[in-house]
Amino acid sequence: MSKKILIIDDEAGFTKLLRMNLERNGDYEVMIENHSVHALKTAQAFQPDLVLLDLVMPGLDGGDVAALFQADPKLKKVPVIMLTALVAHGETSTGSVAQAAGVTVLPKPVEMATLRSCITDILEKS
Amino acid sequence: MSAPEGAKTQRLSSKAKSAPPEQILHDLLAESPSILASIVDNLPVALFVKDADHDFRVVLWNKKQEDITTIPREKALGRTDFHMFSQESAQYFRQVDEAVVRRGKLFEIPEEIISTPGGGDIWLKTTKAPVFDTTRNRTFVIGISEDITPQIRVREQLKELNTHLTLANQQLQETQLQLIQAEKMESVGRLAAGVAHEVKNPLALLLMGVEYLASGITENDPNLPEILTEMRDAIARADRIIRGLVDYSSSRQLSLESHELLPLVENALLLTRHEVRKGNINVEVIFEKDLPPVFIDLAKMEQIFVNLIINAVHAMEGRPRPNLEIYAYATRIPEVERDEGARTARHLRSGDEVVIVEIRDNGSGISEENMQKIFDPFFTTKATGVGTGLGLSVVRKIIELHRGRISLRNRVSGGVAVSLTLKVAPTVQDELDKGPFKKKQ
Repeated sequence: MSKKILIIDDEAGFTKLLRMNLERNGDYEVMIENHSVHALKTAQAFQPDLVLLDLVMPGLDGGDVAALFQADPKLKKVPVIMLTALVAHGETSTGSVAQAAGVTVLPKPVEMATLRSCITDILEKS
Repeated sequence: MSAPEGAKTQRLSSKAKSAPPEQILHDLLAESPSILASIVDNLPVALFVKDADHDFRVVLWNKKQEDITTIPREKALGRTDFHMFSQESAQYFRQVDEAVVRRGKLFEIPEEIISTPGGGDIWLKTTKAPVFDTTRNRTFVIGISEDITPQIRVREQLKELNTHLTLANQQLQETQLQLIQAEKMESVGRLAAGVAHEVKNPLALLLMGVEYLASGITENDPNLPEILTEMRDAIARADRIIRGLVDYSSSRQLSLESHELLPLVENALLLTRHEVRKGNINVEVIFEKDLPPVFIDLAKMEQIFVNLIINAVHAMEGRPRPNLEIYAYATRIPEVERDEGARTARHLRSGDEVVIVEIRDNGSGISEENMQKIFDPFFTTKATGVGTGLGLSVVRKIIELHRGRISLRNRVSGGVAVSLTLKVAPTVQDELDKGPFKKKQ
């Protein structure tokens, strides 16, 4: 049975193309949520195995969404990969993986190979 | 032997009581012919007479003329200008003298420069007139010159001072423009992170598209049209943002042209999109229908909007339901706002057609104390590193360069409204009305 991935990102075009790539080989079942305010409800209904979460979003930002998931007993164990185009001091170089407070952070743009191996690693561990 | 001086005066004054003035002068000349020479010599203006029938040789040369030209009478009498002045000056004097005789009329030379044998140049205001001696059938040219060198020197000094002032003013304006540019580069730095974020998102999409295409596609892949459309849109979006930033940071000169305000405001919102989204701010842009174009420097005005939008975003940090409203309408400056002290062409006048743009936030507002200092350079309420404090003083400077107005007020409902008054761009008809073909009323 394929693993379920929930993408929470307000960039509709990006999420559409990301889903096409992830679903291509039939490895994953992908759900998109472009409105962060609905993220918790969507996640509760979908029960993903992994979440790809954008950081800068209108309404609730990625941090707010992650906190809501942490407070939900059924979602708190679900691993989260943060995908962000945010440029900050000490930004990780494109393609590298950083760990921050138990959350994996990948900078946008991200190559599919990097993203796939990151997803595989995390799913294997959990 | 003549009577003592006192006695003569006594006798003249007793005559003066009865005789008409012309008789007095006649008597005086008859009694003392040298008095005429004395009068001529003591005139406060230079006087000379030339004999037109004898090569314009000098026949009279008074004291003042000696002083001005530094040529003593004995060296002038019986000589022509060619003996006394440079060839060029003499040639010019001769032409004028001949013209005076030919026309038989008075001739005025408001300013002429002559080089004296003493070495200095002097400026004269000269009047020449023909004098016809009918009894002896001779023609003379009489000239009266006034030394206007001091006035000319003052005028030259004023001209020089004026040049210095113009130059200083130019330098001041250049410095102001440099300051505006420096402030702009500072805000480019502030915007850079946001702009990078806005460009990285379409790049991320493009990479997703490339990855999909690169991993092998079939001819009838149903996703293909959608992927290509999304990729094309992403390229256009990234291009728009980068072009906006480049336009924003370029242009050091002030070039006023007719522009629509709405696209400018939309571009400023695009550049600040990241900050606005991060702050969860609801943006409303309400522009009156058919708003006339305004006379502005596009890049500088965009700088103002970026600045004011960022200020509003900062003012609304942590506030509930942050709302940014950009409201614009056209009106005329009402009579009550008439400012007599500022009624120059550089300022707005009552009756001028203007566009008023208000940038309204519902943030924390400004205290009365801070309101007084809000346009001071380096005044800021922001934390160190967040703002240099040049923002609003530069905004005001730019508005002044546009001959517009800026004002701030606390809104009754909370928050601040910044109001910009900008002159409507002149229409073709306005230009025609102002031009040389203006119809007489």
